Amino acid sequence: MKSKRFLNPAYCLAALTLAISGIPVWAADDRACLECHGSKQQVADAASAMDLKLTAERIERLVKHPAEQGDAHTGIACADCHPKANEIPHPADMLKESPCVTCHEDALKQVDQSAHRDPKGGSQLRAPCWACHRAHDVRPIKDPASAMAPVNVASRCLACHAKKEYLVGVHGQAVQLAGLDVAATCVSCHGSHDILAPSEKGSRVARRNISFTCGKCHGRVAEAYRKSVHGAALTANDNPDVPTCVDCHEAHGTLDPLLPKFRLASPKTCGRCHANEKIMAKYGLSTQVYSTYVADFHGTTAELFRAASPDQPLNQAVCYDCHGYHDVESVRSSGDAQIQQRLLTRCQACHKAATASFLSAWTGHYVPSPTKFPMIYWVRVFYRMVIPGTIGFFLVYIAVDIIGRRRTRRSS
Amino acid sequence: MSAVGEQIRRFGRRHIVNHLVMLVCFLGLVLTGLPQKYAGEMWAKGIVLVIGGVERVRFIHHILGTLMALQLVWHAIEAGWLHLVRRNAMPMVPLLDDVKNLMQQIKFNLGLEKRPPRMDRYTFAEKLEYLALVWGTVVMVLTGLVLLYPVRWTSLFPGEVVLAAKAAHGGEAILAFLSILTWHFYFVHVRHWNTSMFTGKLGAEEYAEEHPLELARLRRGEETAPAPLRAWRVGVFLVFTLILVLGSVFLVAWLRGSVAGIEAFKAAGTS
Repeated sequence: MKSKRFLNPAYCLAALTLAISGIPVWAADDRACLECHGSKQQVADAASAMDLKLTAERIERLVKHPAEQGDAHTGIACADCHPKANEIPHPADMLKESPCVTCHEDALKQVDQSAHRDPKGGSQLRAPCWACHRAHDVRPIKDPASAMAPVNVASRCLACHAKKEYLVGVHGQAVQLAGLDVAATCVSCHGSHDILAPSEKGSRVARRNISFTCGKCHGRVAEAYRKSVHGAALTANDNPDVPTCVDCHEAHGTLDPLLPKFRLASPKTCGRCHANEKIMAKYGLSTQVYSTYVADFHGTTAELFRAASPDQPLNQAVCYDCHGYHDVESVRSSGDAQIQQRLLTRCQACHKAATASFLSAWTGHYVPSPTKFPMIYWVRVFYRMVIPGTIGFFLVYIAVDIIGRRRTRRSS
Repeated sequence: MSAVGEQIRRFGRRHIVNHLVMLVCFLGLVLTGLPQKYAGEMWAKGIVLVIGGVERVRFIHHILGTLMALQLVWHAIEAGWLHLVRRNAMPMVPLLDDVKNLMQQIKFNLGLEKRPPRMDRYTFAEKLEYLALVWGTVVMVLTGLVLLYPVRWTSLFPGEVVLAAKAAHGGEAILAFLSILTWHFYFVHVRHWNTSMFTGKLGAEEYAEEHPLELARLRRGEETAPAPLRAWRVGVFLVFTLILVLGSVFLVAWLRGSVAGIEAFKAAGTS
């Protein structure tokens, strides 16, 4: 697009003038415009001369300064975009229709196919060029003062799109606070001129494409995901249930996964789907994985720990310590012996002295029954009978005793 | 027969202190144990928040559990001295008479019997509670030790034992807590407001109603003096005590050999 400039006669003329004269350039005929638009006072005077009643706000907006150093449009005259400006007072439609297309034809073509196109098919874009790039003072994106510099992108998009979480997410903070211009801004994931709604197939953030979009920066992680049971199902048949990157990490308010908070909340994250009867029934998976986890020592601790100190590091196993995360596999894809072997390795990471017999101290998410973990089952049955039996006897005895004492008190 | 307001000594300092320690341990263990059993509930999280985190809850639970275990060992030693060496009577031992008393009391309450049973130093209700307490404490201490050192125990037993111990620990806890709430509260707080376990003394009238046989013996001055010390009895007692203490120490030493592993956990858990 840059090269297009040189096809524009106005640009060439301005550039030529600059080259010859070496003075700061704005086209000579802009001087006439700035006579009225140079300051607030001038705008107000001109308006009163024409009997126009303008609000203070409007006056403010009508003040234009000569192009500053670094403006990408230095040398483009006011009249290039506002051809009817020589009529005074200015006509209502003095802005040239699609003024940018003269130089930025390709960009406009992309926008015409994007989510920001005119819904009626005309040239009234949902988001005209200046919604993002500003009308005046357009600068190259490498310039931090540019509206489209990484640090400023979010503020432009957020003007219309209510996704403020981005600013507190790990990417937003990296861009805004840490000054990491390479961290993801809105356009890194959604694209720019060719932006499409997530529901459209070709969108960078359509379910199928998300891992590739994140993978631009998080390459190995995205690849591991695509090989996992979740990613493979998405690739193979557009599975609507498996999570993509953003289902666990959140699209906009992405939490740093190395934060203790993420780890502590992770069982709930997995539980969103794995405790959901509707989803799990399709795949014949148990929905008791979450409740059995919480009932076990690790889960109990995690659950209570989260209640009191949600942002402190937790040293208890969470789902992904055993199952993995990006590379999570189906338990059906490995043999029992292999699983036991891996589980033992995993247990020994914390319980150094653990042996194979330690493994059955975890039911593997099974609910004890007469056939699976019978010892636990029968202990539970024992207490389920003994507790009501004993307490029931106590209560009946007490009731009888109260009756008896009442009678003896009355008779004495 | 007895002067109004006459107080009769029922418990000595030993009983009072034992009961107080048990009381503090029991309530503390219930308060710190129940939230762990019902971790998903809001009230459980509330208790944990008030105490200041699950680690502190567990720390208190372990300290009180240890104290209760020590009390159990102490009780065995105490019993050995009093009954083996000093040859004191063992009024806590349940007898066939207690079953008869229970039946008679029920019949009396139902109006099928004219007189309530005449009971000795300990009524059947007290004996039942004592036995339940001792039995319950043994179960809780043993299962608690399994839960505290699961890796060590699995070198002797399959891992399932750990989870069975957990089920038993939780079940026994509920049983004990509910028993205290019903049986104990009824007999010492509702039926009579009985403070003898704290003051050591019980009103003569109440004594006459609940322990007429013992009171009669007291009035007759028939309490037997402790038997004179005999060298062989003291010897047996010392051996018994030594075995008990050394056994406990060795058990704990063996169990604690497995603790170090926990420390090495990598919090981030990267894979």
